[in-house]
Amino acid sequence: MKAFDYKFQTFEPIKSFKDAPKEEMYLPGHRTCAGCGPALNYRLVAKTAGRDTIFIGPTGCMYVANSSYLCTPYAVSWIHAQITNGGAVGSGVEAATKILMRKGKYDGDKFPNVIVMAGDGGSVDIGLQAMSAMLYRGHKVLFICYDNESYANTGIQTSPTTPYGANTTFTPPGKEIPEGKVLFPKNPPQLVIGGHPLVKYVATTNVGYPLDLMNKVSKALSQPGPTFLHMLAPCPKGWGFDEKLTMEMGKLAVQTGMWSLYEWEGGEYKYTHIPKKYKPVSEYMTLQQRFRHLKPEHIAKMQAFVDEKISVVKATAKPIEAAPVKA
Amino acid sequence: MAQERMLTGCSAAAQAAKAAEVEVICSYPIRPYTAIMMELAKMVANGELDAEFVHGEGEHAQLSVVLGASAAGARAFTGSAGVGVTYAFELYSPLAGGRYPVHMAIADRTLDPPGDFGSEHTDAMSVRDQGWLIGWACSPQEVYDNTLMAYRIGEDPRVMLPQIVAQDGYFISHIPDKVLLGETAQVKEFLPPYKGPHPLSVSCPVSHGPQIRPDQGAPMDAQRAQTFLAVPEVIEQATADFNRIFGRDYDPFLEKYKLEDAEIAFFIQGAHANTCRKTVDMLRAAGVKAGMARLRWIRPWPTHQIAEALGHVKAVGSIETSTSYGGAMRGGNLIHELRASLYDLDDRPLVTSFMAGLGGETIYPDDFKYMADVLLKMVKEKRVDRYVRWIGFGE
Amino acid sequence: MSKKLPEYGTINVPTERGVPFGAITPAPVVQQDLFVTSNWRIVRPVIDNETCTRCLTCYIACPDSCWAYDEDKDEMVWNWKFCKGCQICIHQCPADALSPVAELDFPDGVHRLEKPF
Repeated sequence: MKAFDYKFQTFEPIKSFKDAPKEEMYLPGHRTCAGCGPALNYRLVAKTAGRDTIFIGPTGCMYVANSSYLCTPYAVSWIHAQITNGGAVGSGVEAATKILMRKGKYDGDKFPNVIVMAGDGGSVDIGLQAMSAMLYRGHKVLFICYDNESYANTGIQTSPTTPYGANTTFTPPGKEIPEGKVLFPKNPPQLVIGGHPLVKYVATTNVGYPLDLMNKVSKALSQPGPTFLHMLAPCPKGWGFDEKLTMEMGKLAVQTGMWSLYEWEGGEYKYTHIPKKYKPVSEYMTLQQRFRHLKPEHIAKMQAFVDEKISVVKATAKPIEAAPVKA
Repeated sequence: MAQERMLTGCSAAAQAAKAAEVEVICSYPIRPYTAIMMELAKMVANGELDAEFVHGEGEHAQLSVVLGASAAGARAFTGSAGVGVTYAFELYSPLAGGRYPVHMAIADRTLDPPGDFGSEHTDAMSVRDQGWLIGWACSPQEVYDNTLMAYRIGEDPRVMLPQIVAQDGYFISHIPDKVLLGETAQVKEFLPPYKGPHPLSVSCPVSHGPQIRPDQGAPMDAQRAQTFLAVPEVIEQATADFNRIFGRDYDPFLEKYKLEDAEIAFFIQGAHANTCRKTVDMLRAAGVKAGMARLRWIRPWPTHQIAEALGHVKAVGSIETSTSYGGAMRGGNLIHELRASLYDLDDRPLVTSFMAGLGGETIYPDDFKYMADVLLKMVKEKRVDRYVRWIGFGE
Repeated sequence: MSKKLPEYGTINVPTERGVPFGAITPAPVVQQDLFVTSNWRIVRPVIDNETCTRCLTCYIACPDSCWAYDEDKDEMVWNWKFCKGCQICIHQCPADALSPVAELDFPDGVHRLEKPF
């Protein structure tokens, strides 16, 4: 294959909010709930990616709520995809850009950031096939799973990332099934890591740590191939908490071990923000209506699950962690 | 120099895609269209064609990839067969309504259950309400020609719609026949480069497909229907240009074979029209005034052209190589719209239908002769006794 | 030969009901004025410029991009037209410089729209 310089973009890490790109690419004027976690994720991703960006938006909250009606908040080009095919549409956009650049027909001087913003359903449930195939084929696309732990837009139904014990409209607690949700969730980054040879960078982010989030987006966009980010996106409506607590809920997820912040790069894991002493999961769960019905034995089961995750972190994390970063 | 080669329908489709300089190709294997993609893969690998060859993970993905590619401004090509065509179903409306003029080459295959590699038209037929341009070819030459015409018509600014050129699996896709390939200059004159009106771009950002309200849905549908009113004229112009540049003689909508003074006629599309034509000659030699109307486009359906071509005929029989279980005539698909096209004539023909060639079976001249006998009997008795006859199954 | 066949007719979409080609709309530039959300809020965040340390946390924390830093004035600027009153900024402010005040207390409060959106 003849070598061709597609002029991929590279990004530098930032140390503080002051250094963040000033322009907004996710503008005010969208029908997302007040305090929407996914919307905040979208805004920070768009801000970091900048003007030379094309978004692919599979159906979900970040499609329907953002684009009602016949208008969108994206200052950059964006295309709707079906919930089933975010990865495939992203592949098509990327492939077209490559050939148009080779033929000198592309209107622009840099390769655009091609970013798929898919929900948890559009990433690891109905969208899993397309996501995996895109990562396998090596398209230069950033696949983001914004995880609000449910099919939120259709009124909160269970998805493969919904936590054990969550009350959703497809897993309501009842006499026969007291927990509500019986199954433990899939682990999206683990589905990606190691199985897709051309993926060299995978990371988890959390809306409670925005600087870390933006730097991981930069790092992902600076890779020459496909990358995957798993973003926790607390959902006030779906999880049942006061909307002002969105960022705090994210932090609490990390502090209890429900969510770990890590990067996987070149085969190595790097964890950050590891709590010196983990808070009990009940502190996280009692703040959310979706867990209100649980009995102590269910909370204990969740704690056991999280303890298992924590032991994996402790076994894998390097002894010297990154210096604590402000927020 | 125009090259004449012996090519199968699959090879002809690949050659047309190459001539059209397609930019993004998305493949997935399924009999009997796979050879189209195998040939394009070779062309890309040895540098004959500079295109992005994307290995789709399935037919649904194929149509999704070409949607993204077309939205980004590239000329995109894909294809499938049988259940592959139906697996991709979710994408047909978004592609048509989003006005992405991608091309899909279909080599027909009977739908499951269970696996049957033989050709039936039901696969591409099932897509007909989704808003695409769809038509059947009856020879490898016509596959090549129709593919170039499809891009020209589909990418016309007055149209901007995706297109399907279908060919019978095995009969056309796998049996070689003479194909005259176009010269580069001819193709360049006939087919301008693809220019989408609002591609996804950085310099002029756009949003493709925001959510709409129900009251915005109705005008969206109306505008799509409005486009189809403009398509026939574009088809006529493109066919005339094609005929002139490449030295062919296509009627835009219908091949009219010995129809002018016909008393009975066969209404047919696809490969079996070749046998039909031969049988018409045999019938004529035996003194029967038979003719054939071969449909080249089912979408847009040439309602008036059919009425004009067949209005004077006394009895018409449609040959159905597809199924419409529970349909009005309890048979195939063409009969419904054929009867609808002829309904308003003062002196309308008697119309019946024949299920034949299903599963990929051959239709023999004797079968067409039998059908002719049925049509002649209808003319004699001045009535249609049955909507449908299943050839070989208790007529 | 035959009586005149029916026509396909014409389809006329009135301009005010038209939908853009292929449902493709231009991207907004500064804000999406077709979806104003100011009438969602029941409180608005009020900033105390003395206490504010210009840390930019509120600017980063807002899902609706409703805080901006005005370099010339060295002040945080709030977007009246779009703030939904979610109070994330108030909750996150490390200096306690933001407080929620009832929207009805303001002369330009409770922006009532003709249509909900």
